[in-house]
Amino acid sequence: MWTYEKRLQYPVNITKTCPKTASLIISQFGGPDGEMAASMRYLSQRYTMPCKEVAGLLTDIGTEELAHLEIICAMIFQLTKNMNAQDAQTAGFDAYYVDHTAGIWPTAAAGVPFNACEFQSKGDAITDLFEDLAAEQKARSTYENLIRITPDPEVREPLKYLREREVVHFQRFGEALEKLKTDLDAKNFYYFNAEFDHKR
Amino acid sequence: MSERAKLLKEIQEVGFTMDDLLLYLDTHPLDQDALKAFAQARERRYQLTREYSGRFEPLTLCQVCPDTNNKTGTFTKYPGQKHFTWSDGPLPWDNQGGV
Repeated sequence: MWTYEKRLQYPVNITKTCPKTASLIISQFGGPDGEMAASMRYLSQRYTMPCKEVAGLLTDIGTEELAHLEIICAMIFQLTKNMNAQDAQTAGFDAYYVDHTAGIWPTAAAGVPFNACEFQSKGDAITDLFEDLAAEQKARSTYENLIRITPDPEVREPLKYLREREVVHFQRFGEALEKLKTDLDAKNFYYFNAEFDHKR
Repeated sequence: MSERAKLLKEIQEVGFTMDDLLLYLDTHPLDQDALKAFAQARERRYQLTREYSGRFEPLTLCQVCPDTNNKTGTFTKYPGQKHFTWSDGPLPWDNQGGV
């Protein structure tokens, strides 16, 4: 189960209304490499993970991703909470405004709604960990793309923090993959599906 | 920066230390230095959150205690009345935690 702690993992204090920026960073809420996909990916994969320590890591990173999702949503909220109808006509936010006003809804920057197909839970330990490593790198790239085009330091700082966490998660998943390979048949761990063919 | 904001910032910092050490210890469960750092951070966080929930709103359900929470009556609709203090405080996504 989960309990809620009434604070953000990293502070967000954005004072300038900017729906355009909101329309871009929303991708890290509901986009293909966003925090929702990340959290659901790890929390879904953990049940069949054959190595207990790795299942624990998936739980802990999946939980941290929920805190990141909250940071991104706080940023979108603060960027749009004081907007008026004229602000809402900003290119990039106008179409979103028509359907959601200033409500927070998971979508990619290009308007594609959140979709469970953004992440995989393959039921194969090696496959899933490679997916996780790639996912952390894709999220890092997305944060870098956002940081390059975001001048406001109040928006940049939380984005830089979130980018750094992707790097740390990548490192931890790399260690988890090594641990798993040591636990499996070290002579040929790619030969079978450790979650299905070799029940331990 | 208000007293509340300062204390909350310290909690965020020590909370982050624990979040980062958690993932490290998941993959390095025998690292004695990391275990020591985790124990120190946990103790510090316990002291800080206890002080915070006494002076301001509780941050977790386990800290909800109408008799001892929010002695300063900050961000509450019911100052001076015994009430459910979980709803005290600003929403976390409000600017600067509502400071």
